[in-house]
Amino acid sequence: MPPALHDPANLARAFAPIVGEANLRPPSGAELRCAKLMVAPSSADEIAEVVRGCESDRITLAPIGAGRTLAEIRSAPADIGISLARMNRIVAYEPDDMTIVAEAGATLAELDAAMAAHGQWLPIDPPRPELTAMGAMVAGARFGPSRLSEGTARDLLIGVRFAGHGGRLVHGGGRVVKNVAGYDLMKVMTGSFGTLGIITETTFRVRPRAARRLVATMRFSDAASSFRAARTLHDAVPLTHLEVASPPVAAALGLAEEFTLIAGCGGSPVEADYLRARIPEILGANCAIAGGAEADAFHHRLRDFDFAASSAELLAATAPAELPALLAEVGGAWLAFAGSGVARIFLNLRAAGGLDRMVGALRTRARDARGHVRVSRIIPELRGGIEIFDRPAAPAMNLMRRMKTAFDPSGVFNPGCFVGGL
Amino acid sequence: MASSGNSALDSAAVAELRAIVGDDAIVSRPTELKVYECDGWTIEKSAPELLLRPRSAAEISAVLKVLHRREIPFVPRGAGTGLSGGCLPVGAPVMICTSRMNRILAIDYASRRVEVESGVVNLHVTNAVRERGFFYAPDPSSQMACTIGGNIAENSGGPHTLKYGVTTNHVLGLEIVLPDGEIAELGGPAEERLGYDLAGAIVGAEGTAGIVTRAILKLTREPEERRTLLAIFAGVGAATRTVSAIISAGVIPGAIEMMDRLIIEAVEDAFHAGLPRDAGAVLIIELDGIAAALDAQAAEVAELARAAGAREVRLARDESERAALWKARKRAFGAVGRLAPNYATQDGVVPRTRLPEILREIAAIAERYSLKIGNVFHAGDGNIHPIVLYDERDADETRRAIEAGREILRACVAMGGSLTGEHGIGVEKMAEMPLIFSPDDLIVMSELRRVFDPEQRANPNKVIPAPGSCVEVAAPRRQVVL
Ligand SMILES: Cc1cc2nc3c(=O)[nH]c(=O)nc-3n(C[C@H](O)[C@H](O)[C@H](O)COP(=O)(O)OP(=O)(O)OC[C@H]3O[C@@H](n4cnc5c(N)ncnc54)[C@H](O)[C@@H]3O)c2cc1C
Repeated sequence: MPPALHDPANLARAFAPIVGEANLRPPSGAELRCAKLMVAPSSADEIAEVVRGCESDRITLAPIGAGRTLAEIRSAPADIGISLARMNRIVAYEPDDMTIVAEAGATLAELDAAMAAHGQWLPIDPPRPELTAMGAMVAGARFGPSRLSEGTARDLLIGVRFAGHGGRLVHGGGRVVKNVAGYDLMKVMTGSFGTLGIITETTFRVRPRAARRLVATMRFSDAASSFRAARTLHDAVPLTHLEVASPPVAAALGLAEEFTLIAGCGGSPVEADYLRARIPEILGANCAIAGGAEADAFHHRLRDFDFAASSAELLAATAPAELPALLAEVGGAWLAFAGSGVARIFLNLRAAGGLDRMVGALRTRARDARGHVRVSRIIPELRGGIEIFDRPAAPAMNLMRRMKTAFDPSGVFNPGCFVGGL
Repeated sequence: MASSGNSALDSAAVAELRAIVGDDAIVSRPTELKVYECDGWTIEKSAPELLLRPRSAAEISAVLKVLHRREIPFVPRGAGTGLSGGCLPVGAPVMICTSRMNRILAIDYASRRVEVESGVVNLHVTNAVRERGFFYAPDPSSQMACTIGGNIAENSGGPHTLKYGVTTNHVLGLEIVLPDGEIAELGGPAEERLGYDLAGAIVGAEGTAGIVTRAILKLTREPEERRTLLAIFAGVGAATRTVSAIISAGVIPGAIEMMDRLIIEAVEDAFHAGLPRDAGAVLIIELDGIAAALDAQAAEVAELARAAGAREVRLARDESERAALWKARKRAFGAVGRLAPNYATQDGVVPRTRLPEILREIAAIAERYSLKIGNVFHAGDGNIHPIVLYDERDADETRRAIEAGREILRACVAMGGSLTGEHGIGVEKMAEMPLIFSPDDLIVMSELRRVFDPEQRANPNKVIPAPGSCVEVAAPRRQVVL
């Protein structure tokens, strides 16, 4: 099919025989920015057949969970969006082995509900677990505050299945928590944003849930003192998460409008009691510590935090010690994962030129600190020519191009929106 | 293809390489090269034709450009402690050893990062930061000798990876010299990756992507305190059931290691470590974290062990008792050397609830093959290390040792496990790869490898069996029959 014929009606005719008419639909909401037609296969084999059809007719395809990621990074819709909504089974959960296998369309909320009775969870806490499908979480490298103690998808994913070029159904890893057989395809797929294949199944190691959760908060008059206190606390006691919020973000989280240190910790009742007594000794008496339902509710607010008033959100990453200096350039609204060297920066610039300059300045600064800045959300009016990803140095970029060609020789997997235009 | 044969390593090539690294960094005399004929997988042997010991990434880059132009394959080597024949030259005449690249380049406590050259010995990283209350978490039992480059190539683990993760969880960035001589910096001190996780793909690639020259690693804060328990059992069944009981109770110890009777006796003969000679198995269980909670936790774990059948649970009373336990564990492989002229350390994984079953299976296999097999391993991860004793002068026993090892791996796979938890595929397990990976999986993995090494000259004939080839372990010389 030549590109001119890639209109939704023709696409529907091409894929109806594979997935059935009933499993095709027009995109809606965020999906409108991702794809022209939504195709919902019911199995990896169907996906493989769709992939082969796409490759032979040069139809571009993009895997879509809730559409949150691709709606931001695609400047034009792909031909078809692969919805994993029908592939949402939990394939196996072994509480005593602490592993779980789920199809790519299962959501984090569904997994955690299945594990709750055994006091376990998959300790990745990106915003809105009920919207977070496993495939999208892995491919989009989504994370939350608990990355400090538990790591991210790249640390917890122990097995992956995906449909690759030629419709090959490929797997890497397995179902055991320690495994070095073969190349690490889990790392390859994590953060690949759908550009190398369609993830169909994921296997994770899971963790016990802490019996008690505490959240400590403390106000500061400036950013530098909050980061200093964060480091002191981090060096003194084991923490599960550690943030510094700028005043507007603190206010939006329901705290006083000041620079605020937020520290999560927990464990057994004995550990929680100890931490509750110990943290004020380190930070000073005017820190506030919440436990129980209050702490859980705050963790959810922090996890789901979204600064609706902003026109764009950036994700900055540097070595942790470099982050305060980078954020000093921004002013305004940001939420820093202080122990991880990652910050969500919320900008409210309404003119494209101003935004471009700001992103450029931050990128220069971040590169000097061997870090980088990504645009993770942006209002459509400003999407224009903004580069979503920073540019890797030439030798790394060459390898990435080779990686893309090796995994996607026909260039159909979510092309044109990843680093360097891959 | 023979192990070295038809290479273009003529005197002109050697002269070119000599000019780059200097006389003192080149070894070409066969008697001296014999030292490099194997790693810890001693069943197969094959010395390189030339050994280079460069001092920098720039030298390695110049060397690889020469080898690339002359189409000469090479094999990287760290300390040679690998256990799967990873640095055995198979069709690679030149060995490049990183032992001179052993500087710790920068320590950033505020960011918890350390930047090292790849030839740095694992334990030296921890030694450099311990005083400030930090450590480098992956702690292979060989950590006194093995290098960070070798750890990266194998994605090594160790006793404490149960709680703290394996090498890949601690490598943020690396510098690699690609087989064409280009130097690439991948990842960096930031946790978030920009673009594909190339550094993540290279960790565990067993030296087939190029030569890693530098790495940025994460440092971990020392726990406040530790409690180290020795749980003593009549047999391995009760010991392995204890492992599941502890994990099911929601306790994640820093480490749970197991030793069976054969190993206990070997350790006692060699070091008089104070382990009970009449025990069928012991577990070393280490808890770490907030001091205030540890005594209660240790009591809980001791109770779980007793309930599962431990006849006694001892608590190390001080640092010297703790050190003695760990010394016994970490030197166990060495102690085994006294039991037989040779031994092969296997490395398989099962879901940890299947440990009792796999140990029964191993005992049955030992009996079937008339071999002695000891077990000392990372029980908390389900990562078994059966140690098969044999005498390489006895061809039949050697053959039985290899066959028994393979049968153990097949049993692991049948229980939903894997061929290797931390030692790598190397040459040892290539033939078993199709047990867990389909032809399509292997094709895609070779494509990934060729992203870094299109001509497959970095550590050739490893990890992935050539399609349609029949790989035959013909100890002590490897034949790759194409
Ligand atoms: C007594 C003993 C105990 C052990 N205990 C453990 C354990 O607890 N956990 C564990 O995981 N392993 C263990 N091992 C295995 C071994 O120590 C590890 O695999 C270790 O990481 C190998 O490091 P090395 O420097 O000796 O590498 P080598 O053996 O020299 O090489 C291993 C592989 O790495 C490649 N390589 C080396 N350096 C580089 C580089 N700079 N760039 C690219 N490739 C490179 C080689 O080509 C080879 O494929 C043990 C081994 C022994 C002998």
